[in-house]
Amino acid sequence: MAESTQMEVETATQTAPLPAKPTFKPLKAHEMSDGKVQFRKISVPPNRYSPLKKAWLDIYTPIYDQMKVDIRMNLKGRKVELKTRADTPDISNLQKSADFVHAFMLGFDIPDAISLLRMDELYVESFEIKDVKTLKGEHLSRAIGRLSGKGGKTRFAIENSTKTRIVIADSRIHILGAFTNIKVARSSLCSLIMGSPAGKVYSKLRNVSARLNE
Amino acid sequence: MAIVKDSGFEALEKLKSTEPPVFLAPSSKSEEARAASQHLFEKLKPYNPKSPFDELLVDGFDAEQIWQQIDMQSQPLLSSLRQEVNRFAKNPEEIRKLGNLTLKVSQKDDVDEMDMDGSESGDDELEANESEGEEEEDEEDEDEDGDEDEEEKNGDNEGIEDEFFKIKELEEFLEDGEAEEYGIDYKNKKGVAKKKKQNLRDDDDEEDDEEDEDDEFGAFAGGDDEEADKLGKAKYTDFFGGKKKETKVKWKDLSEDEAEFENDQGDVKLSTHEKERVKLQSKIEQMEKANLDPKHWTMQGEITAAKRPKNSALEVDLDFEHNARPAPVITEEVTASLEDLIKSRIIEARFDDVQRAPSMPTKAKREAKEMDESKSKKGLAEVYEDEYVRTANPAFAPTTFSDELKKEASMLFKNLCLKLDALSHFHFTPKPVIEEMSIQTNVPAIAMEEVAPVAVSDATMLAPEEIFSGKGDIKDESELTQEERKRRRAKKKRKFKAESAKEPVKKARDATTGSEGL
Repeated sequence: MAESTQMEVETATQTAPLPAKPTFKPLKAHEMSDGKVQFRKISVPPNRYSPLKKAWLDIYTPIYDQMKVDIRMNLKGRKVELKTRADTPDISNLQKSADFVHAFMLGFDIPDAISLLRMDELYVESFEIKDVKTLKGEHLSRAIGRLSGKGGKTRFAIENSTKTRIVIADSRIHILGAFTNIKVARSSLCSLIMGSPAGKVYSKLRNVSARLNE
Repeated sequence: MAIVKDSGFEALEKLKSTEPPVFLAPSSKSEEARAASQHLFEKLKPYNPKSPFDELLVDGFDAEQIWQQIDMQSQPLLSSLRQEVNRFAKNPEEIRKLGNLTLKVSQKDDVDEMDMDGSESGDDELEANESEGEEEEDEEDEDEDGDEDEEEKNGDNEGIEDEFFKIKELEEFLEDGEAEEYGIDYKNKKGVAKKKKQNLRDDDDEEDDEEDEDDEFGAFAGGDDEEADKLGKAKYTDFFGGKKKETKVKWKDLSEDEAEFENDQGDVKLSTHEKERVKLQSKIEQMEKANLDPKHWTMQGEITAAKRPKNSALEVDLDFEHNARPAPVITEEVTASLEDLIKSRIIEARFDDVQRAPSMPTKAKREAKEMDESKSKKGLAEVYEDEYVRTANPAFAPTTFSDELKKEASMLFKNLCLKLDALSHFHFTPKPVIEEMSIQTNVPAIAMEEVAPVAVSDATMLAPEEIFSGKGDIKDESELTQEERKRRRAKKKRKFKAESAKEPVKKARDATTGSEGL
């Protein structure tokens, strides 16, 4: 029996040996698109125009130097344009930079938005108050006031406990952070919109954030 | 003799018919009484060979003397009677030897009849006579005493019985119980007994007087064990009979059979084997009959309370499975043993105290993050960065707020401990201070080197010049003259002015620099 297997092995090895598996390096951005350049264009809302001007250098430096993505401002079209270079290491850099700029346009601060560049798992979620509950006029204003709290303390409380950043723009709400944290922040914001008092939301937050931060 | 007897009898009859209170007062009844007693005395004389008197002497004798005569005769008679009864009790078969006789004590007429008949036919056979005589004796004894049924049967039991306890009632009660227990109706008992006795007699001895209940005396005995067996099952009816009509009928039969008694004697005698077979057959019949009857309720399987007689379950031993251990019976020994155990334990000090279970090592309480309601100073990236660094490389992690608080607290406590140690030791050696900054103290060298206990204050060690160094004449405020005071005030003013001249210059400079930014 052993002999027969040996015989079989010998016969197998006698045939031509297979070539080794090829190993390829990851494609560069250029190569992926067959040498073509990729663009991203992010429009600038009017209220973010002057903050953009102020913080332009803070935006430009990390994108150009670290992400290796070309960036320019189209003043006429009020757009920020991003373009891959030949030495852009990864195609995701372009996307990350675009997300970073977009986050800034939504209203997030530069240090917060920079985290998008540095971490993969961060996302931005946006929703409107009317998605949660139809409110009109004064009710809407009161809801917005409830969300922020006095001097923004409610908002800060949610931000600090869930490690997210929140931007409330009229009736739009944007949340930046990791997926689970976004969920928690969203639920607490929704409960605030629905009408629960801040104290209740705080207590819930406390419990949940303790679990989150374990 | 007969005439005398008759007169005596008449006298007896008359006595019986009189009212009891009449006896209490002396009356004409005394003549009759004497006649009656004489008659009785004569009757009893043959059975008492030792009596000194042939007849009762009544003429001219006192009541007391007559009584003494009767007593003298009756005493040995009674004892002999007792002996006879005992003998019969031990050897029942002997009773059968006495011949055919029936006892009808309850019926006085029958008694008289019997007496009459007995006395007539008794001449033929001595045995019958004897038995009759005994019968008469018994009768007479009973008449004398005034008791009726019980005396004959209960000759042995005079000591036990009294107005509360009657052996006959006891036996009746026992028979009732037995009847209930074995399922035989009490009503039919007599019939059964009769039947039984009939069967027995039919099987047993054909020379017996069959239908009669009190067959002990009437049955012919072969001296066998069966007789004893039968006697063991003897019932009241065997002795004293049931119904009047039956007895009358049976009496006639009896009287008939008496004549045939001797003739049949030879044919009817059975061998031992045959007798046993007969007995066995009777037993078989009994058992078959019992099988046909409805079973006792304990043997009937599942029984509800409605199907069994009331309170019958109380009389039966019911077996239950008890799941619970029965409560321990507290006796003196038990308590003594417990107390000994307690004492020994106390001496050993071995109390089985319950020890508190060690509580789980509680996890260190997580740092309850205080809800920070202000804008966070770190950017989101930095937050995540810190978190990552803490998980990946705890050593390089920047201290949290709580850590800094802890540091501060530990520093304060160290200082406090140092001070307390210094105060509590005479020879206190402070720990080597690891200084980050060198502290220049303006203390003279001698003070540093002095090996004096700390308790001694510095004030005594310092020289007065070191405490205060001043020149010239030092005067107190109260000692100053007016000019002196003026001079001091002027000096003070000059100083103040000089200082204030410097400061506004400085302030102006600051103000100018501040406004540049705008």
